[in-house]
Amino acid sequence: MRKRAKRDLTIEQQLARGPIDLPFLALVLLLTAAGLIMVLSASYASAMYDLDPNVKTGGNPYYYFMRQAVFAGLGLVAMFVISKIDYQRFRWMSVFVLGVAIVLLALVLTPLGRSGGGAQRWISLLGIRFQPSEIAKVGIILYFSARLSKRGSQLKGPPKKWNKRTVIGRVGAFFDQIGLLELVPYVTVLGIVLILVILEPHLSGTILIAVAAASVLFASGIRMYWFTSGAALFAVALVFIITQTEYMTARINIWKDPFIAPQGDGFQVIQSQIAIGSGGLLGVGLGNSRQKYLFLPEEHNDCIFAIVCEELGLVGACIIMILFAMLIIRGYWLALHARDRFGTLLVVGTITLVATQTILNIGVVTGALPTTGISLPFFSYGGTALVIQLAQMGMILSVSRQIAAPRAE
Amino acid sequence: MEQSNRKSRHSGEKNNRSLFRRTIALMVCLGILAFAPMVHQLYKLQIVEHDQWEQRAANQQTKSMTVTANRGTIYDRDGRAMALSATVYRLILSPLAVMDSVDKNKYVDDNGHKDKEAYEQALEAKRTLIINGLVDILGLDEETLWKRIQRTKSAYEEVALELEDEEAKAIREFIQENKLANMLYLTPDSKRYYPFSSVAAHVLGYMAENENSGGRKVGAQGIEALYEDALSGKSGRVVTSRNAYGMELPSGYDMYFDAQNGYNLNLTLDQRVQAMAEQTLAEGIETYDVQKGGFCIAMDPSTGAILAMASTPDFDPNSYASILDPGLLSGLEALGQTVGTDSDEYSAQVSAARNKQWRNKALSDTYEPGSTFKPLTVAMALEEGLISLDDHYHCSGVKTVGGWPIRCHKRSGHGDQTLTQAVENSCNVALMEIAEKIGAERFWSYMMDYGLGMTDSTGIDLVGEEGSILWDEETFKGPYGASALATGSFGQTFKVTPIQMITAFASVINGGHLITPYLVQSIQDDNGNNVYNREIEEVRQVISESTSQVVRGILESVVENGSGHNAYMSGYRISGKTGTSEKRDEQDNDDVICSFMGYAPADDPKVLVLLAYDSPKRSAPGSNYTVSGTYISGGNITAPMAGKLIANILDDMGVERRYSSEELTAVDTTMRSVVGQELTAAKSMLEKAGLRCRTIGTGARVTAQVPAAGVSIPGQSTVILYLGDERPGGEVEVPTLKGLSPAAAKSRLEDMGLFMRSAGVSDYTDASVSAVSQSLEAGATVAIGTVVEVHFVSNVMDYDVANKNDYGWER
Repeated sequence: MRKRAKRDLTIEQQLARGPIDLPFLALVLLLTAAGLIMVLSASYASAMYDLDPNVKTGGNPYYYFMRQAVFAGLGLVAMFVISKIDYQRFRWMSVFVLGVAIVLLALVLTPLGRSGGGAQRWISLLGIRFQPSEIAKVGIILYFSARLSKRGSQLKGPPKKWNKRTVIGRVGAFFDQIGLLELVPYVTVLGIVLILVILEPHLSGTILIAVAAASVLFASGIRMYWFTSGAALFAVALVFIITQTEYMTARINIWKDPFIAPQGDGFQVIQSQIAIGSGGLLGVGLGNSRQKYLFLPEEHNDCIFAIVCEELGLVGACIIMILFAMLIIRGYWLALHARDRFGTLLVVGTITLVATQTILNIGVVTGALPTTGISLPFFSYGGTALVIQLAQMGMILSVSRQIAAPRAE
Repeated sequence: MEQSNRKSRHSGEKNNRSLFRRTIALMVCLGILAFAPMVHQLYKLQIVEHDQWEQRAANQQTKSMTVTANRGTIYDRDGRAMALSATVYRLILSPLAVMDSVDKNKYVDDNGHKDKEAYEQALEAKRTLIINGLVDILGLDEETLWKRIQRTKSAYEEVALELEDEEAKAIREFIQENKLANMLYLTPDSKRYYPFSSVAAHVLGYMAENENSGGRKVGAQGIEALYEDALSGKSGRVVTSRNAYGMELPSGYDMYFDAQNGYNLNLTLDQRVQAMAEQTLAEGIETYDVQKGGFCIAMDPSTGAILAMASTPDFDPNSYASILDPGLLSGLEALGQTVGTDSDEYSAQVSAARNKQWRNKALSDTYEPGSTFKPLTVAMALEEGLISLDDHYHCSGVKTVGGWPIRCHKRSGHGDQTLTQAVENSCNVALMEIAEKIGAERFWSYMMDYGLGMTDSTGIDLVGEEGSILWDEETFKGPYGASALATGSFGQTFKVTPIQMITAFASVINGGHLITPYLVQSIQDDNGNNVYNREIEEVRQVISESTSQVVRGILESVVENGSGHNAYMSGYRISGKTGTSEKRDEQDNDDVICSFMGYAPADDPKVLVLLAYDSPKRSAPGSNYTVSGTYISGGNITAPMAGKLIANILDDMGVERRYSSEELTAVDTTMRSVVGQELTAAKSMLEKAGLRCRTIGTGARVTAQVPAAGVSIPGQSTVILYLGDERPGGEVEVPTLKGLSPAAAKSRLEDMGLFMRSAGVSDYTDASVSAVSQSLEAGATVAIGTVVEVHFVSNVMDYDVANKNDYGWER
């Protein structure tokens, strides 16, 4: 890179040094700060009582907060660094990211992986413990965006001519026409990743990766009937699973009425709703949550939004949700104004991932959706996840640099 | 190439348009629409259902501990605590904690596998330790404990209740020594104590759980039940915030709601009088072999304050379910031997016995008052001006009323008698004549005025008061009511409760005021401030003061000269009326209730006592004597007991004795020293003091005397003067005096150097008077000169007994 920089900057390079989108940056910083504060409040009790057998907090009530703050710092640095990179370089990087992700996902399933909560999802590299599925999300989005941005004319010259005299040729032509063939590489790659994640098992990770991939495919113009039929297939499968497997039926029943097992599976839902409901309009005040005193499980992870609702009330929760909605809308706005298709798809995939995660998490916590273990972006405790999320925000900011300034009229 | 370029540009534009549209769609869906259900859900939880969730949160986040209020104390009129509460402890066992205390993961064998056997052994050892400890310290049942400790889902098993301080201390040490803090713990509780055990049991009541009390003991009878609200106070609460493990929060918010202790009650009841009344009942029941218990009420007739209220059989409120009465016990024992103690019949009898002992007869049972009612009839007629003290009545032994011959108890008839004599003789014929003059209409209205109506209750502050059982009003006033009126005049063929009877009687002697009897004089809060003070409640004036005065005169004469003779106690001026009533509603037995309604002092009644024995056992069916040979009548059985009781009550109340001139001769004098004096001078000195003397030894001067100077002895006693070298000998044995006449008893005692003070009948010349009891047991060794108190009663022999069928009731 340095060698080529001896010459004057190319147009691309000049574009890559454009201003980043300040509203988006502001929203990211606001949410990260709010998330940090809530981690401090929510984790206070569990850190003080030092009850998680996997974590030795030493009774320091700020233990989780300190760690999260360090990762937030790292994440912000990563975000700025990545936002400086010309995102066009992500095109070739995407293959490596995806490749690394697949290798790591495979490694997780070997004895190298670390288990927790009945699933083998973690791996330790260089002393950092993280979930490869987080990287897989980035990899899939990058790879799909890079490849799909060259769809149609931009893809490898003229379309392939099929020999219509052979059966294979005719079938191939038909498949090509209905757009099946172009899906093959995506389905293959996605299939490999999803199977690896499912094997962990990691249902929520699977859903998120699938949704992110689908969003990129959707935006790139894949024909609608693939999505409608895919959605139909998904719905049928869902109904089948819910009605035919005991595990899922039980989960749905708990969702419908958590009080059928108030001390069992319904416990978390009930405790979460108690936290939210007791918050009322204005909340019990920042730091005053009582549900965090060991009543609410996962209070600084998946259920942190319940603590937000309890402490800040409906008003505070709505403000947080508005921040998220603004971030999402601004994200899509950036996607719409991106310089090229790759930028658009990259931002759509990343923002859709954040949006899905946010909505599913809040949905689960408020009891609007059945329980799945999805964390809330920027809020839930988890260092590497936060770093990766901020890094992704960095990518979006990088895309925002190359948006042409509105013409002065 | 160009075409394809155009085409591709075209398709690229198309692609870009679809990219734009689809991204917009995603933006709208995920950025806006998807948040709508979340906001809705939050609104539902936080605004609509907020209260419900907040309640749930409070329920689990706060620990509410009840602070029990101390139940108030019940004091008698002299401030003696009759019922008080003290802290006791209940012992809770948590089988869950016991199981959790043994860590399953610690028991692994060499291969790292869990060693189930070792774990179970360890658990068993822990349980054995606890159970053995509890069996050793508290003597609990081992088998039950094993059963309970195996309920491993339970964290709350009450294994012992009402542990006293000492036991609680031992348990605490045991817990500490063996580190059982979570598995066993003590919680404070309150227990009711009745220091005088069965004294006033019916009045005080007892504490028991009932279906509405929620596992708490509440007052179940008597004062405890009626004044439950005042006594129990209000329990307080401490609310502390806690975490899910029950630990208090570092920034916990606490709220205190102070407990408000119950009020203390001050009764009109006098514990000592109550004890005397119960003692009198018990004595009489034993002496006369009384079959169905009895009752006794002592009341201040001018205020309605109840001094004592006793009913036999009774119970001990400290353990209200145990059967104490010897009569009930022996019946149960006999039944247990024939049908077995685990049979249904036996347990039915046990609960019947309990109900019997809990029943306050003085309040809840009705009886035919018999002749004790006669003063009420006389008072009606006097008030109406229908009769006067100068009237004469002739009793031939029978009077025909409404075609029925109704006999007087003396079949030969009382002959000619004045009104006073008629009451002294308890003459039924005279009373029937008086009732005839009154007429049914007026008689009925007086019954109502006396508070004896069927729906009337006296209004005493106790639960369970019953009303009377009277004739049908229309029949009574109609042409066929004559016999009812006739028999009603002497207290038969209707039933009233004892408390109704004594209240009505009080109005006759207190100047005509029907007052509401009561037990609680005042109520004080925890700090000793009066929150309630009882005032005398007059229901109505029944008769005039002057009528009341005339009746009092007649009644004094009844004890002085008539059938109430045996109630006489010198110096106390006891008045009253006896009664021996048949049970008209129990045709198949000849049980009678022997009662006495008496008061003293005669001119200014301080205490009115109603004493009754239900069914003294006849020596043989149809016999008129008890097994011990006493003639069965109120005058012979109840009057002497009541006389003694009234005298004792007056002594307790500090009412001064007043003696008539006759009585004065027998009044105590103080012995003066005559030692060293000439015999003649000594004799004359003693004579002046109303004493006689006899001499022992020879000589001119008195060298010693019995009793010593300063000792108080009854007048007309014979003192011993020693002459010459004679000295008083040491000790003598008290002789048996039972059955002796006063003169014989006196001389027997004085022969031995003892002195006699007589109680009861004082007429030394009456041969029918005999000693029934003595203050020092026969055979006891006492010093020479000791005064022995002897109680005499007369046996009234001339009264015949009639049977129900010829209406020959009353004495």
